[in-house]
Amino acid sequence: MVIKLIALPLIAFVIGIFFLGLFRKITARIHRRYGPPLTQPVIDIIKLFYQKSVSHGRLFDFGIIVSLAGSLAVILFLPFAGICPLESSGGLLVIAYLLLFAPLGIALSGGEAANPNISIGISRKLILSLGYEVPLILILLAVMTHYKTISIAQIVSMQQKTGWAVFSAPLFLSGISYILILPAMLGVRPFDIASAPQEISSGVKVEYGGKFLALATIEHAFHLFIGISLFVNLFLGGGNVFVFFLKMIFVFIAGVFVHSVFPRFRTEQAVKYLWGWPALIALLGLVLAVTVK
Amino acid sequence: MTLKILLLTAFGGAFVTYFLGKVSSKLRNYFAVFVSLTLFVAVACLYGKSAENFSYFKFFGNTLVLRVNSLSWFFAAAVSAFGALSVIFSLDYMKGKENLDFYYMMMLLVNAAMLGIVFAADLVSFFVFWEIMSWSTFLLISYSGKNALPAGIKYIVMSLIGSMAMFFGILSIYVNFHTLIISEIARGIVSASSGYKIFILVLFGVTFGIKSAVMPLHTWLPDAYTESPTPFSAVLSGMLTRMGVYGFLLFFYVVAGASFFFDIDAGISKFNYILCWLGAITIVIPTFIAMLQNDAKKLLAWHGIGQGGYMILGIAFGTSLGLAGGILHTLNYSICIVLLFMSVGAVEYRCGGVRDLNSLGGLIKKMPVAFAGALLGISGLIGLPLTNSFVSKWLIYKTLILKSHPFLAFAALIGTWGTILSVYKFLHNNFLGELPEKYENIRKSPVSMQIPIIILSSAILLFGILPGIPLKVINTIITSFGFNSLNVNLWGIASETGTLNTINIFTAILIAGSVIWMLFRVGKKSFPVTQDDNYAAGAYVPAGKYNYTADFYAPLFKIVKPYLMDFADKFFGWLCRVFTGFSEGVRKIYAGDVGYYVLYILFFAALLFFVQSGGKSW
Repeated sequence: MVIKLIALPLIAFVIGIFFLGLFRKITARIHRRYGPPLTQPVIDIIKLFYQKSVSHGRLFDFGIIVSLAGSLAVILFLPFAGICPLESSGGLLVIAYLLLFAPLGIALSGGEAANPNISIGISRKLILSLGYEVPLILILLAVMTHYKTISIAQIVSMQQKTGWAVFSAPLFLSGISYILILPAMLGVRPFDIASAPQEISSGVKVEYGGKFLALATIEHAFHLFIGISLFVNLFLGGGNVFVFFLKMIFVFIAGVFVHSVFPRFRTEQAVKYLWGWPALIALLGLVLAVTVK
Repeated sequence: MTLKILLLTAFGGAFVTYFLGKVSSKLRNYFAVFVSLTLFVAVACLYGKSAENFSYFKFFGNTLVLRVNSLSWFFAAAVSAFGALSVIFSLDYMKGKENLDFYYMMMLLVNAAMLGIVFAADLVSFFVFWEIMSWSTFLLISYSGKNALPAGIKYIVMSLIGSMAMFFGILSIYVNFHTLIISEIARGIVSASSGYKIFILVLFGVTFGIKSAVMPLHTWLPDAYTESPTPFSAVLSGMLTRMGVYGFLLFFYVVAGASFFFDIDAGISKFNYILCWLGAITIVIPTFIAMLQNDAKKLLAWHGIGQGGYMILGIAFGTSLGLAGGILHTLNYSICIVLLFMSVGAVEYRCGGVRDLNSLGGLIKKMPVAFAGALLGISGLIGLPLTNSFVSKWLIYKTLILKSHPFLAFAALIGTWGTILSVYKFLHNNFLGELPEKYENIRKSPVSMQIPIIILSSAILLFGILPGIPLKVINTIITSFGFNSLNVNLWGIASETGTLNTINIFTAILIAGSVIWMLFRVGKKSFPVTQDDNYAAGAYVPAGKYNYTADFYAPLFKIVKPYLMDFADKFFGWLCRVFTGFSEGVRKIYAGDVGYYVLYILFFAALLFFVQSGGKSW
């Protein structure tokens, strides 16, 4: 139990950081550049801890800590290849709510500075979240209704008997919809409106330097890990450590491909997209899950 | 006996306060605080007691009786606690306003009436206390005059419609069962026909639906919350509106009885599912309308409607878990919204009455306590883990999902996202971002405002980490309704279909937080800079001009605004105009010319003659 509690965040950290490195490498290759080495994010994080930074006050410090703590807590509730130390403490509903800590923490932290870019970033992030939450809630409800449980661990174990949810009869529509909104959940292009480096200087992170930026980078790594691992758990049937990791890599690389070739949406375009086909398919998926037993 | 004395203290205290105000305003203030605190202590002492039929009065041959049980204790404790806190909050907030003797008397009177409602054991006292509450609420809503007057009138008209429905229901019950004592009615109603039961439930449903602002009957609420003096907005949102929830519980589960309530078939669907869907609509539409509001109090007011939907949904769904969730949410929501109104009040008090979310901002350093209160309040409204509403919402969601009602659950969950967006706008535009220059010299909120804010903030965390405290009381309530007892412990709820363990969540976040904090300490120390010392990516940022608060969700508004209209309000407005037009027409009969009246009399006499002769003279 204790070993699991310590191991799981470490695994998440390693995989998340690896993803960040891979992200830059693959994007570079698609752009026909050589790209930085895979270990570049680790070097950056260590370097940033030694650099100086500014702080706008207590909430500025507190917010980023809360944000990371929230992400860490989610990781403890989310099964990774069957390892889930806190699975019996509330299930998917708790995760859905714990996921709020990360963006809210960063938003509060940024809020103490008076930088307008931060306010714009927060507003865009919240709008985007509302955009993808509509299909996402429909999808999660379809999954929970079909398997008649709110525990992720049980959902995973049932898929090992009946096959991956994304290919199973009543849930395939939900799976398709989930794939359509996954880029928005991960915040990659065309949905990187909340960070948008060229427009609003990375939005909420604009005031971060030194250790703040290091922690924000770790948070980003955790965010990638959580987003992808949730999808693998709910729709790709989990698996043992190796298979699980392979599935994650597969989903992640698909995400990077989308990221590298698309331009950025405007905020209202993103919401219109998310409330269009993905929401419609998710709604049909839920109807299907309710009617087909 | 004790209940009689308690109510006497409550009502007597209100009137004595008025006359003490004529002697000295300081004495009046102290006495008002003293009375409200005494009531809280007295109610708290009744914990765990259950007694019925203290007869206190004879009324046309019927004895009027009082009773206390876990249901009434739960509501009475909340009423007296919020009452005391808002009286304390009033001390500074109302300073220097006119007619304060009247104000304090009314505040205490509203409290007394609410206590009367929850302790009443027969329908006459219930009705009388209900009316006292409605009328004193009207007087307090329209206290500030000007815009407040139409708001008050809107309230009292709707409230009167509700009262009439209730009065009609009471008469019908008395005619049929020859008793007005609630427990006796409950025994008598078992043999009634199902059509009659629906009739009674619809009549009382209208009354309580209006009071707790269920969706098509909500239109009085936004204006009333906005225009009342802020401490009273807190009382109004905190418990007064929730008297409707108490009424629902009383009539559905005590009078009608649970088994019977679920058996009713209303033709299309089961009666309680119709109510569930009303609750779901009440959740979604108002929370999204709240997003469009720019007045801080109006934004909260729309949440008052929206969160009410969760309570109705939980209560109408009626499983042990759902019912517990609905009742618990009533308490949790009240704590949050009272707290939020108080922090708005503090900001309003210091910023010269400004509540416009487009012109405030950056007050976090100036008013840290109000900020902390607002932060915990919004976290509670959202239902973040470790705040109180998380538990109640979790219970409601879980019931809906496991009982295979995903569309109701969707309404509940998407309502939460509407809440997140609108309350974050509330927090950001009040306290975060750039501080407008005119508010440079704002001082902290006064102590009398800080005390209630701090108490309520700690309550949010306490009930969030140890939800067993209120759940134990609620468990006795639902077992008294005849539901299965829940397996409640101090830190959550265990059941065969899934466990909630808030202690695990709390510990996980605490340990994760401390690990991160240590990591944070290891890094090179950051140096402090002021709020305005910002990085603008090479651009020049003129101070005081880049406050991004107006139109906070502009891109979203473009999409959703056309769909978010208050159709019910428009409909009632149209109804009012039609009615006024009709009355104008009727008024024309009174032409003021004697000739016309003579003509009327002649016509009438002719008619009588015609009737008398039986049409033979035709």
